[in-house]
Amino acid sequence: MPVVDIDTDELRGLTGEDKSDEEFKEDLFALGLEYEGDTDDGLLQFEFGPDRLDRLSVEGVARSLRYQYGADRGVYVPNVNDADWTIEVDPSVPEERPYVTGAIVRGVELGESGLESLIQLQEKLHATMGRGRAKGAIGVHDLTMLKGQALTEESEPSGTIDAATADLAATEKTITYRGVDPEGDRFVPLDANAELTPAEVLAEHETGETYADLVEDLDRYPAIYDELGLFSFPPVINGKRTEVDTDSRDLFIELTGTDQWTIDKMCVVLCYALSARGGTVEEVQIDYADGATYPDEYGPELIRPDLDTDEKSVTHDRIETMLGVELEREAVVDLFERSGLDAAYSLGEEETVYDVEIPPYRVDVLHPLDLVDDVGRAYGFNELEPTYPDIGTIGGRHERSRLERAVRTSLIGLGFEDMLNFHMTSAGENYDRMRIDERDTGADLADAPLGAEPRAEITSPYSEDYTQLRTWALPSLVQVLENNTHRSYPQDLAEVGFVAHRDDDVNTRVAEDRRVAGVLARTDATYEDAKARLQAVCDDFDADLETPATEHPSFLDGRVADVVVDGDSVGVVGELHPEVLVDRDMEVPVAAFEFSLSALE
Amino acid sequence: MRLPQAQVALLEAASATDARPIEQLADQTDLKPEAATRAAFDLRDEGLVAVEERVEESARLTDEGETYRDEGLPEVRLFRAAREAGGTVGMGEAVGAAGLEGPEVDIALANYARKGYGVVNSGEVSADADADPDADTEAAALAALATGDAVDDDDVLDRLESRGLVELDERTVRSVALTDEGVTALMEGVEAAETVDRLTPELLTSGEWKDVEFAEYNVEADAPAVEGGREHVLRGMSERVKDVLVGMGFQEMDGPHADADFWINDCLFMPQDHPARTHWDRFALDVPPVADLPEALVDRVEDAHRDGVGEDGDGYHSPWSEDFARAIALRGHTTSLSMRYLSGYADADLEPPQRYFSVQKAYRNDTLDATHLLEFYQIEGWVMAEDLSVRDLMGTFEEFYRQFGIEEIRFKPHYNPYTEPSFELFGEHPETGEEIEIGNSGMFRDEVLEPLGIDCDVMAWGLALERLAMLTTGAEDIRDLHGTLADLEFLRNAEVTY
Repeated sequence: MPVVDIDTDELRGLTGEDKSDEEFKEDLFALGLEYEGDTDDGLLQFEFGPDRLDRLSVEGVARSLRYQYGADRGVYVPNVNDADWTIEVDPSVPEERPYVTGAIVRGVELGESGLESLIQLQEKLHATMGRGRAKGAIGVHDLTMLKGQALTEESEPSGTIDAATADLAATEKTITYRGVDPEGDRFVPLDANAELTPAEVLAEHETGETYADLVEDLDRYPAIYDELGLFSFPPVINGKRTEVDTDSRDLFIELTGTDQWTIDKMCVVLCYALSARGGTVEEVQIDYADGATYPDEYGPELIRPDLDTDEKSVTHDRIETMLGVELEREAVVDLFERSGLDAAYSLGEEETVYDVEIPPYRVDVLHPLDLVDDVGRAYGFNELEPTYPDIGTIGGRHERSRLERAVRTSLIGLGFEDMLNFHMTSAGENYDRMRIDERDTGADLADAPLGAEPRAEITSPYSEDYTQLRTWALPSLVQVLENNTHRSYPQDLAEVGFVAHRDDDVNTRVAEDRRVAGVLARTDATYEDAKARLQAVCDDFDADLETPATEHPSFLDGRVADVVVDGDSVGVVGELHPEVLVDRDMEVPVAAFEFSLSALE
Repeated sequence: MRLPQAQVALLEAASATDARPIEQLADQTDLKPEAATRAAFDLRDEGLVAVEERVEESARLTDEGETYRDEGLPEVRLFRAAREAGGTVGMGEAVGAAGLEGPEVDIALANYARKGYGVVNSGEVSADADADPDADTEAAALAALATGDAVDDDDVLDRLESRGLVELDERTVRSVALTDEGVTALMEGVEAAETVDRLTPELLTSGEWKDVEFAEYNVEADAPAVEGGREHVLRGMSERVKDVLVGMGFQEMDGPHADADFWINDCLFMPQDHPARTHWDRFALDVPPVADLPEALVDRVEDAHRDGVGEDGDGYHSPWSEDFARAIALRGHTTSLSMRYLSGYADADLEPPQRYFSVQKAYRNDTLDATHLLEFYQIEGWVMAEDLSVRDLMGTFEEFYRQFGIEEIRFKPHYNPYTEPSFELFGEHPETGEEIEIGNSGMFRDEVLEPLGIDCDVMAWGLALERLAMLTTGAEDIRDLHGTLADLEFLRNAEVTY
């Protein structure tokens, strides 16, 4: 879950409330932000569900608090100036990352803390909506370091216009989003002192190495140019030339990604945060050139940031039934306004409907239900009196869970200690150390020893100890014995538990079963001890047991039998092979059995 | 008079005139000292002997005491060195001449003036001409103790004990003497009753048990340890949770551990590019995709992801592919079972009201440590009814947690892709009073319910069983509680909860 680092002095400044840290913690808990601890720099860390991504910076958190305190009401949309700059999208842009958006914010007062907050917000947006920069990546630049010139051949070179006069220039200024050959250009990236090609950035630069996997398979890499050349290599790193520092006042924001809506929304969250720092938002025009992939739902020419509000309707009845309280209409409108929404209601013939206006930074409102949640939060969920629902239902356990419990009770009565082992294991434990060979997928298992079934394997597992589901339960019990040779004997252990193997004839391709397994580890354990207990369990469930001789590599020849219950071969009983024991430095014999729980049904 | 064998022996060995220590009598009668002591007290209770108790103190040299006995006390050695050197001498020279090493130097200085050997001042040691090292009482006591002689001066002994040179022991010595009644009894004649160790079938059937005396056991002695069969402590907690939920009217669900992502995530309106669905967090299985999914449901779920549900509903701006939905993985939560039941796929179509639960395993790709397991038991429950409110949800969960001693639930508004409103549940730790997270809950979204064909409300919650068990057992390492790394000792000693 996302964590936002908050400087409470900043919070006091931005909310205008002189509250203590403790009071802020309480207020933020009510909003859904849980205090997690302090950073090394003394900032307070709050964790929250990844819905309100506008709260990924102190500015957004402060805005939410101002609504909660009633200092602000209703929808706020910053004023926007007309576009002066255009981002042109060249057909050479790699088709894997076709979309771009942007905005300009002028007159920001960043300072030390504002810059830190901006960097944090970028990182957090990357981690959440941006899906680790794959879906959307942000670059923020010092606008005064950019020089705009149309890429088209007929345009005049505008290299003579310097940054100071750029504001006043009536001519449109252009930057270009395009593809570049991995070795096709050079620029000085952030945190470097030499010019590197994009390919060199991926190979040599620390940030480049981190994000290399996002672009390294592309034929052409994404790149953003102004008149002076390449200044951003999304989604990897910005150029040093346009680096933002504490004195930067005019910012150029660009975002690239795989989904236009997502990067537009990330851009909106940034614009709101910078607007709270005194910035004035200015539109940017996006022109997808002929041949470039443009977003179907918006067309090839866009004006961004898109600060249009959304509207959804919700009925009074839905709000009341969901919260379980009766509310006045005006009170509901008030709660909407204190959530940063605007609402107007109409009294229909049958029901009251609220038309709710939603500001553009709210990426979490997918359905009118989400508006009910906002009303609930503004009302204060913890203000609600819990009630026990007046509903009659009959409780009961699943048949198999009753059977498992009954078998477990029998085993405990016979003196077994009940075990609860992991379902995941490794091939080494499951097969090799039990001296059995795994059968191939699809092979006939009729004559296969218990446990030799093909594995259901985990795709690229982290840990070599947990790479598959166990195909039988005895190896787990033997592992427990191995780990407890320093504990007192006898160790009589049993488990009623899950096993599974690959079977492509099953709908989920994994055949799942429950097994009854037991081990008797003691100085005088013999086949007879295991069979006696097996017999006792079968007798408890009125099951007819036969034990014809068989062979099984995990057991000692001549002391192993098939477990045949009511005519079906369902398992194995015997004395474990000495190799299985000495391999685990065990110094006592072990008699064991395992069979399918279903045999006792 | 008939008495047990041991008492007869002791009575005969005891004297009326000379109180004898029990140890001596035990030797004489071939009884074990404990048996002789027991017999003596029994005889005293009969009034046949008197038992006299006396506390005996003995002192023994420690290793350090032994050393000083052989080499002389450090302060004495320092004095001799100073006197040898003419009465006043530099500290370094004196220490060297005395052969003092390490802590012996401090010991010597600490005791030097106290015992009147002279003064140590400004780095010089002077020896008092009147002092006589051969008359040192502490040295004399050490020598006496070493040869087994007693030392009567308690002050000296206490001093030596505080210096760590001797260890003092106290023990009770009991002596036994015949009383007049004892003498009379002996003169009248005392017979030993036959004592038997075990009550045998023969004794019972022959009736002989009436004539024998049963040897008394020391019933207070420890018996050998027995490791009986017992339910696994986490299983015990699971059974208790099930009992509580069944009592609250919940029906138990069951279903596959390895399942299609469709049931695990897509039905739950989890976007396919949600971080929890990346290979880092989930255990994908290397098997072909699921054979069958209910096609109409798949279409409705895809629609919900792409376009949302209802007039004002929006979908996700995330890719969606049926191939991903069909991929098989180990379930990351048991909510896949809820989806199978709510859709009617697991069983019959459900009409409200319903309550369902499961306590089953879920799998998360995490780092195995004291608080995280790769597989854990998830308690999952849901209630389906017309017009459920958030207050009903709160009331149900308060009731559930109250059964485990957790009161004062707080509801933190939260976000889950599949519920709205959503709450994280916080409660007070029953022991420490600390506020801890105890579950996650909410009302299933329309985007979840509508594709499943449910047109009433469903509220749901989940939490890890291990968390509840750690709270109630005080276990500090989750690996002791669950899994193949278990320590039998922990399981054997875990307190039974109920």
